[in-house]
Amino acid sequence: MRVGLSWDLDRFDDPAAGWKEVVSEVEQADKMGFHSFWIHEARERAADCPEPSVFLTYLSQRTKSGQLRIAGRRVTRALPPHISEEVSVLDTFSRGRAGLAFASGSSQGVPAAHVHEMIEFVSASWAADEIRYRGDFVRFPAHTPDSAPRGVSYPEDEPDYVAQWDWGPETPDFLSITPKPYVPYAPLNVEINDDETLEWAAQQGVSPMIAADMPTAEGVERLARYRECADKAGRSRREVEVVMERRVALDGEADDHTLGGSPRDVLNAIRKLRGKTGVSHFVWRRNGATPMDFYRFSSEVQVLLQA
Amino acid sequence: MEFWTTSIGLSKMRPMPSSLADGFANFIEGAKKAEALGFDGYGSGEHHFMYDEFIPIPLQAMAAAAAVTERVRLSTNAMLLPLYDPMEAAEIAATLDVLSDGRVSLGLGMGYRPYEFDAFGTAKRTRGARLREAMEVLRLATSQDTFSYQGKHYQYENESLHPRPIQRPIDMWFCGGTSLQGARRAGAAGLGYWLANCPFDHTEAIVKEYRQAGKEAGFKESELRIASFKDICIGNTMEEAEGLRKVLMDNFYDEHILGYGYLVDENGKNVYNPSRDHPLYERFIQSLYCGTIEMVVEELEKYEELGMEMMFFPSAQSELISEQILPEFK
Repeated sequence: MRVGLSWDLDRFDDPAAGWKEVVSEVEQADKMGFHSFWIHEARERAADCPEPSVFLTYLSQRTKSGQLRIAGRRVTRALPPHISEEVSVLDTFSRGRAGLAFASGSSQGVPAAHVHEMIEFVSASWAADEIRYRGDFVRFPAHTPDSAPRGVSYPEDEPDYVAQWDWGPETPDFLSITPKPYVPYAPLNVEINDDETLEWAAQQGVSPMIAADMPTAEGVERLARYRECADKAGRSRREVEVVMERRVALDGEADDHTLGGSPRDVLNAIRKLRGKTGVSHFVWRRNGATPMDFYRFSSEVQVLLQA
Repeated sequence: MEFWTTSIGLSKMRPMPSSLADGFANFIEGAKKAEALGFDGYGSGEHHFMYDEFIPIPLQAMAAAAAVTERVRLSTNAMLLPLYDPMEAAEIAATLDVLSDGRVSLGLGMGYRPYEFDAFGTAKRTRGARLREAMEVLRLATSQDTFSYQGKHYQYENESLHPRPIQRPIDMWFCGGTSLQGARRAGAAGLGYWLANCPFDHTEAIVKEYRQAGKEAGFKESELRIASFKDICIGNTMEEAEGLRKVLMDNFYDEHILGYGYLVDENGKNVYNPSRDHPLYERFIQSLYCGTIEMVVEELEKYEELGMEMMFFPSAQSELISEQILPEFK
């Protein structure tokens, strides 16, 4: 099982000081073998990070191994090409360590279909060259006509090559997002808080994520339903990465969102989650645990989970 | 006068095939080198959907540079602001400003390539107005705790930017190309004006126009800041310097300026695929200044006398510039 870290940035009053603390922890964790570092998109409090890709690109030069994963990406503020491009740039700077997880539609006040269209567009823009997209929420390029096929479409035939610098003022009907990610398929997840998204993601083979704000029992139930839908659609478990983010209280009390008890209790709780849900990537949402807790989790939980 | 620079790497050069990932790594090394050589700033441009994989989000590249430097300012030259939601741009800038301890300088341009506007769903004809409105949104967002803005293209009600940047407001420049029209727009709005490559006599005319427009709009002289992007090709002889310019044109500029409508006439109209003897093309070539060290120093002194706050040099010959030109202006 892969094990990663994420942070409650909103606990800091001063973003400069708080973010430095996170950077320092990431540098240590990278050396200690944690697999991933997740920055959530948020913009309500003083030290929230509204642009995780910028933070993670900074971290790309302070780490060597850990994956750099954008979490809770919203579809409302950034324009579709920017979301595709930011992952490609992060992936190239980090040589294949970038990943992207979208927030659910309901958590950002948009229809689930808006998130689905964005995922289709972004993944197609990474995998293919010239594309266009016609949806209710995403249209690329803007002049794509209503008569274009719904969703992603591709040029039907390949005209003779015309160098880009010879295009002049004409805009092609199909465009290629550049650069492409360093890897053929950057990890792509979506939070499955919405039933519509849960079913769609399961059918499409899009990897699910349960974020820390969902109670553990609900997360387990939703991942079980995801697997049922995926099985019905003929999708294999090996196609997806199941990500679950939880809080951890070493020597503390467990609650609806938190795994607690001794390191061995936490280890067993995570193993049980894996058994019930197929979780393949566990993310510890950090919220001010002590440095000693950090080292104990690493040596007594993280390493054993990988064994 | 400050000196800023950049490095190759954030795109591929067709005549010199290379790995993009290696190029990105070279860009990071370039940032360290720029700081070590005594430059004051380091920057990146922006283009989208390019065959050469040109960097599409320059502030993201500067985040990588921020992680390996401590002093140099981190700039965009230019970030194409009409292609962003202004609050998205403010958030990207604020995030980098916090990570870099307040070192962000935004060079902001309106863009000119038709397909970039079409892909982002922005009408190209509105780019000038969008740039001015978006710069005002950036100023408000980065200087006030809460703000409202009612423009023709952008509207915000009781909006707050989190995190707050270190710089309040964040440092911004209007990258206005080489047209008098751009200079008038920037002067009238009291925005710092960052010229593109152009010969000195045209630079003088633009600066005069900019200051006149600024004064008429009621701005103090101290508020009317100017800077310039400047390619310089240094040789032991003119022939050697002109040879370097030819390499630059053949390997980069011809592809980047001819077909995309970069050259703009005095009416603000983009010129596509001009002939090699077109006056605008010839003026562009002349704007890549060629000379010996002494000639370059003499040329730059004219810019200093004109009141340039900053000169931005592309990456070529950065060691030579550091050793023999920067000390003349410190």
